[in-house]
Amino acid sequence: MRHDPISRLFRHRYPYAILLSFLCMAVPLFFYYIYCCISDAAIVVSPAVVALSALCFVCYTLVFLYILDHAARKSARQEILIAEHEKKLAEAEVEKMRANLLRAVSHDLRTPLTGIIGNCYAYLENGSFLQQSEKDELVKNISEDSTWLLHMVENLLTVTRIRGSNLSISTTEESVEEIIGEALQKLQSRHPGFEIHVSVPEEFLWIPMDAILIEQVMINLLENAYFHSGTHLPVDLIVTNSPDHVSFTVRDYGTGIPDAQLEHLFDGAGYTNNVPDAQKGMGIGLTICKTIIAAHNGTLIGRNHDKGAEFIFTLPKKKAGTYERKDSDTAHRG
Amino acid sequence: MNAKIRILLIEDDRSICSFITTTLCNNGYLVTTAASGTEGISLAASNRPDVILLDLGLPDMDGCEVIQKLRSWTGIPIIVISARTTEQDKVTALDLGADDYLTKPFGPAELMARIRTGLRHQHNLASGRVYKALGLTLDFEKRLVTLDGREVHLTQIEYQLLSLLAENSGRVLTYTYIMNSIWGPYMDSNNQILRVNMANIRRKLEKNPALPQYVYTEIGVGYRMRENELR
Repeated sequence: MRHDPISRLFRHRYPYAILLSFLCMAVPLFFYYIYCCISDAAIVVSPAVVALSALCFVCYTLVFLYILDHAARKSARQEILIAEHEKKLAEAEVEKMRANLLRAVSHDLRTPLTGIIGNCYAYLENGSFLQQSEKDELVKNISEDSTWLLHMVENLLTVTRIRGSNLSISTTEESVEEIIGEALQKLQSRHPGFEIHVSVPEEFLWIPMDAILIEQVMINLLENAYFHSGTHLPVDLIVTNSPDHVSFTVRDYGTGIPDAQLEHLFDGAGYTNNVPDAQKGMGIGLTICKTIIAAHNGTLIGRNHDKGAEFIFTLPKKKAGTYERKDSDTAHRG
Repeated sequence: MNAKIRILLIEDDRSICSFITTTLCNNGYLVTTAASGTEGISLAASNRPDVILLDLGLPDMDGCEVIQKLRSWTGIPIIVISARTTEQDKVTALDLGADDYLTKPFGPAELMARIRTGLRHQHNLASGRVYKALGLTLDFEKRLVTLDGREVHLTQIEYQLLSLLAENSGRVLTYTYIMNSIWGPYMDSNNQILRVNMANIRRKLEKNPALPQYVYTEIGVGYRMRENELR
């Protein structure tokens, strides 16, 4: 229950009812005074007057209690209604995210699987007529498609870490530079030629997060920049520190995002009704990023700048449970 | 010619078994395979392999149980191969005594590198009084750390941390293991002090702490130091 003055009034309704009754006793007493004045009778405190006053007081109290009780129940009912409504909205939101994800998955799974099956079929059917170089090409395609499929499955698996209808995750304070380090290390082994310029603030940043999920977001955004920017120019990863949040910018210097796709970047629908689907994998990665960042109460936007595209996500810093660095650092030295 | 290095592969999936066996045989190793935990343990006892590759998802018993049973009588390097991806699984396997882990899927190159690291640690555990990688050297006897020829000043804790990682270079050390080794077993489970110290070390050693060259983070598991070039 909320703690506004009205609900407080309802919770302590007995003292309030008595107090109100006391105040309202002025009315019958005033009438008695008038009656005495008119009939020229002396104002006496006879047993009859006391009994009548008491009766009056009890009636008042009962009436006030009934009114307050009724109001309290009504407000409680309203609160339940509001809570139910909010829950329904949240569920609808989650349902929408799931639908987006499914749509993206069904599209993204089919493409590489078709490639794998097709290449295998070509190899098995025509193996004896093919040159070695052609065979190598087929196997190379299979390998590429399956690697890509694997990364997508990894992406999907990370989403299982987000639980339930309220998108809850368990966060711990993590060091920003460690997460970036690991993400870049993975990208380096996947795409050896991929150059990323990193700039992080000199100070040491702790943010509450699910490290595996945030790592996945960085990998997805950076890989998107690698595959879809249309160039292999170095990509910038810039971390900036603000009082209440930390923001991460992934900026590429490529062709930018077509206007038609801009509004559907995160809902997985952008490319299903789009003409070319050569850009496989745009949908699911970004949808997952959005889900992850939403679960962290952060924000994620994608937009174009002068020379390409940039994606910016922010993660809130929480005050509670922040680590007092100096205390324990010095306490254990020497 | 030297006797071939023997590897025991405990894995129940036929396709993965054949891929690993082919890769290892082509690289000059002798591979024995076991399809269940019980078979694996008895083969380990009778064959005395040099390295054991162990899949955690076995039909008859849990892989962690196999590690426990093996560790009760042998120190043969165990490299865990697992499709489980949560950090907790890795940490449990490492804390039970596994030497390293590989998450499925992995490439042949990665597998060979881990096997070499495992073998090196078995044979050279006590030797090698100097750690060297890229521009960093650590002299365990003089307790001296130099980076590109210049001495690096580390605090007591930072030095202990770095030398612990350097002695086990190439291997993942879990947060728990490092905490116990440096702060003792009675330290609380909060590992932030460790990570703050690591951040300070990185600021002294790495050109860009977000692109570490010497100490790598394994998120949720622990740290791994770059392989010692002198071994």
